[in-house]
Amino acid sequence: MTFVLDAVLCALILGVAAATIAGHGVFRAIVFFIVYGLLVAVGWVRLGAVDVALAEAAIGAGLTGVLFLAAYGRLGREGAGGDAPAPAHLPAAMAGLGVTCALGWAWSALPLPDRPGPQLAEALPMSGVENPVTAVLLNFRAWDTLLESVVLLAALTGLWMLTRDAAWGGRIGLPQHVRPDGVMAGFGRVLPPLGLLVGVYLVYIGADRPGGAFQGGTVLAAVGLVAALAGAVRPPRIGATRWRAALVAGPLVFLLAGLAGAALGAGFLTLPPQIAGAALFAIEVALAASIAVTLAFLVLGPPEETITR
Amino acid sequence: MTLWLSFVAAGVLASLAGALWRVWRGPRRADRMMGAQLVGTGGVAVLMLLAPLGSWAALDVALVLALLAALAAVGFVKATSPDGAGDPEEEEETPRRKADG
Repeated sequence: MTFVLDAVLCALILGVAAATIAGHGVFRAIVFFIVYGLLVAVGWVRLGAVDVALAEAAIGAGLTGVLFLAAYGRLGREGAGGDAPAPAHLPAAMAGLGVTCALGWAWSALPLPDRPGPQLAEALPMSGVENPVTAVLLNFRAWDTLLESVVLLAALTGLWMLTRDAAWGGRIGLPQHVRPDGVMAGFGRVLPPLGLLVGVYLVYIGADRPGGAFQGGTVLAAVGLVAALAGAVRPPRIGATRWRAALVAGPLVFLLAGLAGAALGAGFLTLPPQIAGAALFAIEVALAASIAVTLAFLVLGPPEETITR
Repeated sequence: MTLWLSFVAAGVLASLAGALWRVWRGPRRADRMMGAQLVGTGGVAVLMLLAPLGSWAALDVALVLALLAALAAVGFVKATSPDGAGDPEEEEETPRRKADG
């Protein structure tokens, strides 16, 4: 019976993927892309990769959808969008087909990776955490994760560079307004407290079970977004020092922990077992805060309102 | 029990094809968006059914999905308001005020 379940899931994922790229209409493609994220998250759970499923549910089905919808709205307002049939874009289709074929080739040609075996089980007690995914991300492959967190920061810097001179120093994103006693405002009061609880929970359990800084941080970013879009909080100004401190806190704590490892003689970014548990917890908390703030700012966009000086 | 749970999960998944049909056909944007919301709800149901079969951590995924599927609805409402930052209920309110005044 699980075979039937997996077959139905695969058929739905493939059908939704085809529907995303087939047919006309930007809006339909966006909605199908959101649905695709939801179904792929279920697929990752079936494969036993709950950490990936959490990230896919939070980013694929949540934040990316909001980003695309905002872009769609803007295209329409600037007269560039609309769901009119567009000419087929042959080079893009060929490039997409090429990537698909290359992935198919890689899947069949490359050797299957070994399952993490006795080596990981041996090293896990030294890592300071019990969740093997967190151990690999934050301890054994710390370089990758450190650089990824810097990439997020670079992306936000690039986005902020697009701010018009007249808007620099203003509040980030569009000036949001809602009906004070309306459904949206009520939503902005009910959802954030629940989301905050779930986000903090995901960061906290990351050491022992699926969860962690990326997944929890994304949920916290979504909480901030809902609160900002529903007018419950006003986004900070682009130059606010405290928020800039929050942006760099994660990479900074990560670097400090790496230097502590070097000072204790284990080497840069190699955490000796006696400090690993505490260091990983500090990294996880700081990284979650930075990821949450960076992602929320990325989705809100640069300041738009011209400020009077 | 395992058999029964996976049977029900497969059934819920298959029923989502109906929601996908609505996303494909529309005709209005709100219809498509509501189709996506229904897939989100169905996805939560499937994940809860899968939790006893595989890992109970699937419940956490269900929790995140339930929270963030709602985010897309907020993004949709915002994006389709005239200036991209408003609330359709504000527009409802304006003519009423005019009638009062």
